This record gives sequence, C-alpha cells and structure tokens, in this order.
Amino acid sequence: MTKIKLENISYVYSPGTPYEVTALNDVSVDITEGTITGIIGHTGSGKSTLVQLLNGLEKPSSGRVLVDGTDIWEKPKEISKVRFKVGLVMQYPEYQLFEETIKEDIAFGPRNMGLDEAEIEERIALASSFVGLDEELLEKSPFDLSGGQKRRAAIAGIIAMKPDVLVLDEPAAGLDPLGRDEIFKSIVKYRNETGATVVIVSHSMEDMARLCDELIVMAHSKVVMQGNCREVFSNAGELEKIGLSIPQVTKLMMLLKEKGVCVDGGVYTVKDAVSELAKLFKIDH
Amino acid sequence: MEKNFIEIENLSYAYDEDEGDKVPVLNGISLNISKGEYVAVLGHNGSGKSTLAKLLNMILTPTSGKIIVDGVDITSDELTEDAMFELRKKVVMVFQNPDNQLVATIVEEDVAFGPENLGYPSEEIRKRVDEALRTVGMSEYAHHEPHRLSGGQKQRIAIAGIIAMSPECIIFDESTSMLDPSGRKDVLNTMEKLNKEKGITVVTITHYMNEAAQADRVVVIDDGRILMDGTPAEIFSKPDVLRNAGLDVPQCSAIVEELKKLGVPLDGDCYSTELCAELICNYLTNVQGL
Amino acid sequence: MKNISFGQYYPAESIIHRLDPRTKVILAILYIVCSFVCQSAIGFTALIFSMLAIILISKIPIKTILRSIKPVIIIMVFMAFLNLFLVKGGVELTVWKITIYSKGIYTAVTSVLRVISLIIGTGIFLTYTTTPIELTDGIEQLFGFLKKIKIPVHEFAMMMTIALRFIPTLMEETDKIISAQKARGADFTNGSIVKRAKALIPILVPLFISAFRRADELAIAMECRCYRGGEGRTKLHVLRYRTRDFISMFIFIAFLAGLILINCFGVEYPFIENGWF
Repeated sequence: MTKIKLENISYVYSPGTPYEVTALNDVSVDITEGTITGIIGHTGSGKSTLVQLLNGLEKPSSGRVLVDGTDIWEKPKEISKVRFKVGLVMQYPEYQLFEETIKEDIAFGPRNMGLDEAEIEERIALASSFVGLDEELLEKSPFDLSGGQKRRAAIAGIIAMKPDVLVLDEPAAGLDPLGRDEIFKSIVKYRNETGATVVIVSHSMEDMARLCDELIVMAHSKVVMQGNCREVFSNAGELEKIGLSIPQVTKLMMLLKEKGVCVDGGVYTVKDAVSELAKLFKIDH
Repeated sequence: MEKNFIEIENLSYAYDEDEGDKVPVLNGISLNISKGEYVAVLGHNGSGKSTLAKLLNMILTPTSGKIIVDGVDITSDELTEDAMFELRKKVVMVFQNPDNQLVATIVEEDVAFGPENLGYPSEEIRKRVDEALRTVGMSEYAHHEPHRLSGGQKQRIAIAGIIAMSPECIIFDESTSMLDPSGRKDVLNTMEKLNKEKGITVVTITHYMNEAAQADRVVVIDDGRILMDGTPAEIFSKPDVLRNAGLDVPQCSAIVEELKKLGVPLDGDCYSTELCAELICNYLTNVQGL
Repeated sequence: MKNISFGQYYPAESIIHRLDPRTKVILAILYIVCSFVCQSAIGFTALIFSMLAIILISKIPIKTILRSIKPVIIIMVFMAFLNLFLVKGGVELTVWKITIYSKGIYTAVTSVLRVISLIIGTGIFLTYTTTPIELTDGIEQLFGFLKKIKIPVHEFAMMMTIALRFIPTLMEETDKIISAQKARGADFTNGSIVKRAKALIPILVPLFISAFRRADELAIAMECRCYRGGEGRTKLHVLRYRTRDFISMFIFIAFLAGLILINCFGVEYPFIENGWF
C-alpha cells in the first residue's frame, strides 16, 4: 500500500529573485508502506529538499504531497500533526540537542504533542531502547556523550513521537563504522517492530545496498530511476554518468563480467557475491 | 627515504575524570615518520587517533613520552614561543569542519592569512596565493565568498591556505569526514598530489578505508596502541584485525576472505576492485583452466 | 538565507568605488563636518549641489539611496516639527491659531537637510561603494597609529572580519535548527509572548553552543596558521594612496574652506532680514 505519494512536485527557492533555483522539477514518487526506501543523488540533486517536503517543513511550489491518501497541505494549520506522523531526522541532528539532560531532550517532541507525563516517560523508555541508549546515559548532559551517542539521542527524540514514517537525512554522516552500524541497527529495529515506513538519504552505496528495499535515484532536480536495489545497481553505467558510484561488490562483478567471466552483474551484497563466485569455483556453498 | 622527520617515542596520554581518575587514551605509542612519506593513521572514534593529532599539534601535552619534530622536542616544557612558531610553519593541520578554519570573507584573502602571519612581503604573498590556489584547482574562485562554496571546495581552500605557508608536513585530522563523495574525492586527489608532486609529508588521520588505500603506509590504532603498521596491501589482507579494531573491511577483501574459507586458494593483493577481479581471473585461468 | 549579503554594498564602476577605503573614511568625516559648518542659505545650496554631484558620480541609483533614508523619515519629520514650533525669530506667520516664525521654517528645513547629507555622505562613502572587508582594512590602517596608545586596532579589525565571515554561516545554521525543532513539533508562531519567548530556547541554546564550538575550532586553526596577533603581520593587499585620492581630498578640503569662508563673510538668514518672506 502506498504510504506517501508525491504528485508532480516542483519546488523553487527564492522565486522571482536573481537567486532563483529550481530544486525539484515535476517529481512524482510513491513510497510503499513498511519499506525502507533509500534516496540517492549527489549534493544539489534536490534530495534534501525532497525529504523536507515529506513532513511539511517546506511547502511545494506546485504539486501535492499525500500521506495516507490525504493532502498534507489541505489544512495548513494542522501541519504539525503531519510532522508527528512523519518524523524527520535532519543532517547532523546532534547539533539541535538543547536540554540539560538527554531524557528531557527526547521528551521535547512528545511534550509538543501534548501527551501526559506518564505517556512521555513511556515514550522516552521506548525510544532510548530502540536506539540502544542505556538508562544511566539518559540523565547525562548531551556534552558528556560521544558523537555516536549524541546522534542516537537525537534520533530517539524523533522516534519518541512514534512516527508512522521515519525520514533520515544522512543519518551516518561523519560517524565511524561502529557508530554507523549502531544507527542502522536501530533504524531496522524500529521498522521491524513497529512496521513503520523508513526513508533514508545517504551517499554510501554500500550502506544503501545493505539496508534498502527500494531506491530512488535523483539527479538535476528530477527522479531518474526508481526500483529495488538489483534493478537500480544493474544500471551502473547510468549511475556513473550522473556522478554516482555503485557498491564495490557490484563493481567487482561487472569487472569480472567484462573480463569474460560468467557471473551475475546485478549482485550487490557480499553474501550473494560469495555464493555466486562459489558456484563458479564449483564449491558447494 | 631520509632521516625521521617525526619521531614519536613511547607517547602516553590520559585525561582526568571527575573523581580524579586518570583515563588512558594513548598507551605508549612509538612511531617514526620520514620526510616525504604518505601515512594514514586508521582507527575508530575513541581509538586515540584524534588525541594523537592534538598532541602533534601541541594542543595537548602528553602524560609521558616525547614527540620530536625535525630534531626539536615539541613536548618539552622549555619550548619557547618562537620555537613553537617555527614548528607551526613546518607542520600544519587541516581540520574536520571546513567552515571553522576559514577566517576571511574572500577566498584569496583567506589563503593569504598564513603567509601574512609569516610576514612575507605582499608580492611574495600574491605569488604564494596564486600558486596555492592553482595547486588545489580553485584559481577561478579567488574572489568568491567562502560561505557560498561547497564543503569540498571550502576544504580545498583551507588546504590552499596551508600550502601557501609552504609547510614540510601536513596533518589531515579527519578532513574528509564531513564531505560528500565528490568533495572527498577532490580532497583525496589533492592530498596525493601534494605528496607525490610537491614532496610534502602527508599524515592523514581517518576511519575511511579508501583514504588509507591511497597512502604508502597505514598505521592502525586501537585502544591507544598501534595494532598494525604496514602497506595498504598488508593491512587489507587481514580483515579480522580490521574488524576487531572497529573498522570496515573493504567488500573485495571480505569476498576473498570468505572464498578462502571455502577453500579457494586465492593469494595476492585484493584491496581494490581491479586487483580483486584480476586475482579471481588469474585463478580461474591458471588453476581451473577456464 | 544563503544568498544574504551584508552591508549595502552596491557594485558599480565609479571613481568613488575605486578610491582607497582610507580616503573614503576621511571624505565621509570631512563631509559630515561640512554639513555642520553650513549656516547660510548659500552654504546649504552648495551642500545640496554637492550631494547631487556625489550621488551622480557614485553611479548608485537614486532609488537605492532613498531607501536608506526611509527608516529615519519619522525622526526627520519629528525634528522638523520641533524646530518649526519652538524656534522663534524673524517674520511671524499665523495660520489659524498656530503661530510659526520664518526662522523656525529655516531651521526645520536645514536640520532635515543636515540629516540627509549625513546619511547620504556616510552611506555613499562607507557602505554603498566600499565592501565591509575594505572598510575594515581601511579603518585598521587609518587608525593604526592608535596602537601606540594601546588601543587594539588590529584586534578590532580581526573581530570585524571574523564576524563578517561567520554571520552567513550562523544564519544558515539558525535556519537548520529552526527546521529541526519544527520537525519535533515546536511552535514559534502561536501563544502568548512568554510562550513564544520560551519557544526560542530550543533555537538559541544549540546556536550558542555551536557558535562557541566554532570559535574554539577557529582559534586553534588560526594558531596553526601561525597567527599571533597583529605584530609582524604583512598584507596581501597593501593600500596605496593614488592621485585620485589626493585630488578628492583636496576638493573636499577646498569645499570645507569655502563653506567656512561663506560663514565669515556671508550674512546669516539673508532672506529673513531683508523681509523677503
């Protein structure tokens, strides 16, 4: 079932001024309920604008954003309800922490929703368990946490609103492999346990290949490709043409294919690649 | 290679916790870096790699041990301000956040900042600024405002500002971690160019494997200790060690590792896709005669 | 927000744009002195003409200049009215129940003229034709001698430069933080003043933290680039006075001298005393 539908969306920054920029040009996208959808594209392709349209932070210049079949701008006064439903984690979200303790900061969203204190407590506990923050950390100041912990606390602040759709703009940017893996683990866990829809923007093709069910490729303010990982990554040539890379595994398989080795060029995970090559080496895997 | 340019001897550092406890970050690191080398220091966050950078930069003073740069002990208490100034001319740093390194509102003015501090006459500064901007490929942006540039471009301006001081060694402290792939690629190309063409000693502190793959030598740090020290090929052929150190294993190395476990005798470098493809092809033609 | 530009610098190719910033600071000061020296009607006529001449030479559209006067119109009107009703002398003029004097009219007009010339003089020389960075440079070098009496001129200039460099960055950051908090349901537009002021905390706290972090990192980066204050520092762009600078300064000094001369020999309020009103 379609959770979010973008219909002929266009977005123009500073219209009518010399600085006018078209960030999105007639974009139509369907995001299926319960999937993890990845948005890839280089900087300036319009993907950050796109995610800010999903929760009504920005209003499209033309076109409609439908969440569960209703236009989110039908009642502009109730836009904050949309923001609780579609939780957006912006880039480097740890820079927005402002409360004295992590706990209070996570409570900010639920409190804005007007929940009672008991419910808020429950939400804090739930959100922090999803992102793997220990209880003793909750009483600490954001200053006392490591970079990865701060990032997870900020994500917990959004998860505490129990959004139907969790949107994350480069959630792993600047983190080391351990920090990155922890973040991705919490995202997958949230999806698996609540059935929420997840949208992730990332630059790392390897991460996207590992995480996503569906991929949306953006370039020059338009959606140029949409499909599952296999469909998208098998178009390596086209991806490279718009300045994007493909996962190392896929690149390896394509190189082998070029060299005349008979392998499937659309493989995008290490596991599949190993079994594909094992077949080649005539080993029982 | 010439004599050691940077000598780190048994360097330790611990910071004070609230209750007076000492928390060790670096535990007796010894490392020599020669002039003209291109070294990547790999480690996850909290491995002690950024503390090492701060020690090299004289922001922190070690609990014990010494760092000797070009024959001068930079950890000595008797280091005069002038000696420090001389050292800062030789060893410079590029930091993580490009925004927080740029001082001026015009690109060329920013690049000129270092040489201005060194007191060069203005014709000399002009020459250095133009040369530095050319080296990083940003000449056409000389009159732009830094805040309108992309992250990668800003970082290249920061690098230009530093090479305009003609240093002998540049330390990159996670300088690519806030950049997008194209910005990262530009900065990496610049690093390589500085080392190969200008002969500048490059030390890059990072957790990105592709950044390490490009270096001549990789030093893996974990728990404040040196875990491995070798060429990229040597380091990448030990996926277990990398995994234990909280680092990524390049997908190609992981595939070869798995295949080896299945009994395929693949032997050779495999840290890039090209090498890995070659390795597999060679095996197929030689051994199986396909 | 990214495209915000600071000051009101108007890029154009005029001789005023090309003057040394130090000259422009001096000219602005001279011009202010001129407007205060003016007493007589002849002097003010000269001032009006000089104003028009400066505007024409600077190639800045009148519209742009009028926009800079807009914010002070209320003050000017207030000032004019005060003068109009409080200053007595000269010919009496009674309209309905209000009595005003010719001297009152004169001072009202001249005081407004003075304010306008002040705004236009400083505006054209210091903001419209000079970029903030040039201005900082100019002020630093012009007042460099103050270092001798321990006034940290270089430090002020450096602070000014850094502020100019970071304002756009912090503006952008503010935008991002506002969006991030809105995404968590923060409401900045509804509620009482107290509630709205409270709503600013989630923006201001992260902004201050980030500003301090940036300041810290910048300080380290500057030190790494061998910065140790103004001493021993040289400049990429060395300011040099050129012929046009000397000529323009000469013209202004001559103008000032002329105004002073008019004051010495000219008659004050000629129209009023001759009863032309």
